[in-house]
Amino acid sequence: MKPAAFDYIVADSLEAAVAALAGAGGEAKIIAGGQSLVPMLNFRLLKPSVLVDINRIPGLAFIKESEKTIEVGALTRHHQIETSPVIAKHLPVLGCAMTHVAHLAIRNRGTIGGSLSHADPAAELPMLALLLDASLEIASASGRRTVAARDFFLAALTVDLNDGDIVTGITFPKLPAKTGWGFEEVARRSGDFALAAVAATLTLSGGAIAQARIAMTGVGPTPRRAGDAEALLTGKPLGPDLIEAVIKLVRAGVEPESDLHASADYRRHLAGALAGRAVAAAWRRAQGKTA
Amino acid sequence: MTEPAEIHTRPKIVGARIKRTEDPRLLTGLGGYVDDKQVPRLLHVAFRRSDHSHARIRAIDCAAARAAPGVVAVFTADDMQSLVKPLRATSRMAGYHATPILPLASGKVRYVGEPVVGVIAESRYLAEDALELIAIDFEPLPVVVDPEEAARPGAPLLHEEAGTNVLIAREFKRGDVDAAIEAAPVRVKGRFRMRRKTAVAIEPRAYLAEHEAGRDAITLHSATQIPGIVRDALAEALDMPGHRLRVVAPDVGGGFGGKGSLYPEEIFVCAAARALARPVKWTSDRMEDLAATSQAFDEIVDAELGLDKEGRALGLRADVIGDVGAYSIYPWTAGLEPVQVVSFLPGPYRIQHYRGRVRAVATSKAPTGPYRGVGRPISTFVMERLMDMAASRIGIDPREIRARNFVRPEEFPYKTGSGIVWDRSGFSECLTAACDKLGYDDLRAKQAKARAAGRWFGIGIASYAELTGIGSRISVAPGMPINTGTETATIRIDSTGAVTASFGIASHGQGLETTLAQVVAEHLGARIEDIRIVQGDSSAVAGSTGTYASRSAVLAGGAATLAAQAVSEKVLVVASHLLEAAAGDLIAGNGRISVAGTDRSVAFREVARAVYSEMGRLPPELRDELAATKTYDPVFGTTTSATHIATLEIDPQTYEVRIGRFVVAEDCGRLINPLIVDGQVHGGVAQGIGAALYEEVVYDDQGQIHTASLVDYVVPSAAEIPPMDVVHLETESPTTLGGFRGMGEGGTIGAPAAVANAIADALSPLGIEINELPITPERLFRLIGAAQAKV
Repeated sequence: MKPAAFDYIVADSLEAAVAALAGAGGEAKIIAGGQSLVPMLNFRLLKPSVLVDINRIPGLAFIKESEKTIEVGALTRHHQIETSPVIAKHLPVLGCAMTHVAHLAIRNRGTIGGSLSHADPAAELPMLALLLDASLEIASASGRRTVAARDFFLAALTVDLNDGDIVTGITFPKLPAKTGWGFEEVARRSGDFALAAVAATLTLSGGAIAQARIAMTGVGPTPRRAGDAEALLTGKPLGPDLIEAVIKLVRAGVEPESDLHASADYRRHLAGALAGRAVAAAWRRAQGKTA
Repeated sequence: MTEPAEIHTRPKIVGARIKRTEDPRLLTGLGGYVDDKQVPRLLHVAFRRSDHSHARIRAIDCAAARAAPGVVAVFTADDMQSLVKPLRATSRMAGYHATPILPLASGKVRYVGEPVVGVIAESRYLAEDALELIAIDFEPLPVVVDPEEAARPGAPLLHEEAGTNVLIAREFKRGDVDAAIEAAPVRVKGRFRMRRKTAVAIEPRAYLAEHEAGRDAITLHSATQIPGIVRDALAEALDMPGHRLRVVAPDVGGGFGGKGSLYPEEIFVCAAARALARPVKWTSDRMEDLAATSQAFDEIVDAELGLDKEGRALGLRADVIGDVGAYSIYPWTAGLEPVQVVSFLPGPYRIQHYRGRVRAVATSKAPTGPYRGVGRPISTFVMERLMDMAASRIGIDPREIRARNFVRPEEFPYKTGSGIVWDRSGFSECLTAACDKLGYDDLRAKQAKARAAGRWFGIGIASYAELTGIGSRISVAPGMPINTGTETATIRIDSTGAVTASFGIASHGQGLETTLAQVVAEHLGARIEDIRIVQGDSSAVAGSTGTYASRSAVLAGGAATLAAQAVSEKVLVVASHLLEAAAGDLIAGNGRISVAGTDRSVAFREVARAVYSEMGRLPPELRDELAATKTYDPVFGTTTSATHIATLEIDPQTYEVRIGRFVVAEDCGRLINPLIVDGQVHGGVAQGIGAALYEEVVYDDQGQIHTASLVDYVVPSAAEIPPMDVVHLETESPTTLGGFRGMGEGGTIGAPAAVANAIADALSPLGIEINELPITPERLFRLIGAAQAKV
């Protein structure tokens, strides 16, 4: 379990990084926290000719609050997001989700940009980006572009990034007023990738749900939204029958895969159960109660 | 209660909660492990391992690898043939077939991960680069993955010369079990399965061989539990006398049995270092550890228990198939675990009629070997499930059925149907103490309320007995090439008054440097800080094995007692001369010898100086070296017993299991250090919870291993392990010297059964039995789904 030989370039600016990537002709990998990349190198699942280290690029690790959005730099470590008062206030579901990402030692190194770029099918952050209608800022030698999270995740471990691209930041719209949230995950152990996880937000208006968002991970090649269930919830107050209906819709709508730890059937079962709990928690929180 | 008078005259060191003296070193990064060792001109090994489960090796092309940058040598089995003689784990057991142990696969491969080619290079990186250049022409042979199919006549053979895959078949019986069970008014039975597990020590195996060309001598630094066994085996394999072979186990980061056998890689580095006259190191990575370190706990047990209407056991019969993997491991043989399952199946209970049959079947998977608990986690799982099933059938409490069946205090020594003899141990007392600690009756009342509210809350009891500190009259495999029944200690006071106590055991996390120092200090009257424990070194004593089978506290503790007493006598003779007092009036303690009732005393240091350094201070006849070597043999061994109780709750929607409380009441005789005993119990229970809920080595039907990383081989973390209550009982002093009983494995023996029973109890409204471990969320999902579909 030693990696094949590679060249190592430390980029001290974004310009240097994109230039190094452009110069490697698709044979480079970006290393930030390295928490997924290094094991893949050691297993020789990846044999890049060049590693471009972006850890020393200034100005890529930040959490910035604007009037309507929270912008998070790509090099922001998971632990910073987990403990940020700004995140706790405006995106509490994200802060909660971070406590489920691996273990503290990994969260001290792993970055949000790295997690979204890697796009593990059972990771929490891609699901949260999708839930919160985030958008990703991407830089390359040919300029900058912005991609909505809903368009970013293409397949397992596959995202809308070209060889020379670097994710530089993620922008999350703040949650509207009267919004409650829920986050539910089942993993084999504390800190493991999810067998299934569901995050939800419900925004209320006049005692009914004005906007419902439900996102899931671990139950398909990419994170996905439960559009049918969201539509069903909209305009109604939440009650036991509606929760049951959400559970059924979610189960009918997912196509998980089987692996060593859980069958497709169990994952489908979990997705429904966790969605029911997540919307119930979101409903309680939206009314100012504790979950 | 300790008598205060005794404390004043002689502070008790044995029994004190002393912090581990090795911990400051280990916890501050100052420990020295094999892989830490810096050696000039060191070479590194990477192994090309089989990616076939069972295949013939037609040809190996190493030309490109030999020419690769940094590569010094490439060895195949053919290259090793002139360097190493094959070893076999021999035994006199009837119908036993030994299999050869070689450094590299020869002719065939028999499991995925078996080493085939060893590449030696200037760095591990370069060695791994060269692995990719080796071409092996394999001819696939039929895989042998299902042990039941493998046991049938006509099955493809792993070892043609054996003529069968059944490496051992044995039967233990007493009475007429078939008649007893046919006549029993209550009968419960099941087919029980425990899935394959592996030890996962935090330090993987590592071996560094140094060759001293001038006298053709080898020092092997090995992350092993058994330096003495490895030294003796190497003497045979390399045809060298013992004084040119030294095996040193420095700080070792856990073993749990996984480092308790001789390994091919260990032989390889020695042979290669000798051939190349350069030091050679191999450090297992985690993938190799999961594929090629010995595995365990892979048994199928068909068992039936017959009882009378009051729940008293009348007869027990069982057929066991052990899936032992590709080779009969050295020196324990393939019988190690499966035979122990039938030996210990009757447990702590009076059962007149018994029959246990066992077959150890070779399959094309990694070899199995010792793992903490060896056989008894499975036998306890089966017996304790049967007890709960019977209690439920009869309508009595699980606590009550055990109380009715335990061997009673007046019946000791009790011989079980398999021939194991239990000396007096607190079977009933442990059950009572565990229930009291838990508040058992209150919890049952709470459970009734929880159940009424639709919650799945369960309480599970497991009681067991084990034989520990085993002496020379009991052998794991009769006729095996080693003696596990004795232990030798050499204690020496040097000219500075410092005490060095040397042993054949090999601590790999047990805290033996502390506990043995306590025993020596107690009997010598020395201070703990003046004692150095030398262990993990085959050159420490003339003949040794190592640390395994809950033996070291009993055997090394006994040898330490004898040797310390002998040295103490010598010290007192000298002190008597120096203090001009009768030896009978002297008291040794805290590093000094004093005349009772006076303020006259002399330090160990002065005694030593008088003996070694001061000319003319002593008459010539008193100038005897302050040293003694003593060997201890407990002959049979002694019984350790415990009851574990787990409480847990299952989430009715997600089927996650949350353990609430875990209580252990155990009788391990006299405690040397309660702090260390607690730690051993905690660690053992954690591994038992792993066996119950998480850990499983998964091979597919092509013999490919799917649990090749710790993402997929699921070891519980601290977050999954509940706080525990441990109650220590000492019902009667056993016949062992010092009154110690072994206890290092017990946690792993009781916990799987306790958790399984708690889950079955939680799900009893659905009528679900738990017959397979680990009981993962996926397995619960299927069981609950099937049960709910029936309703």
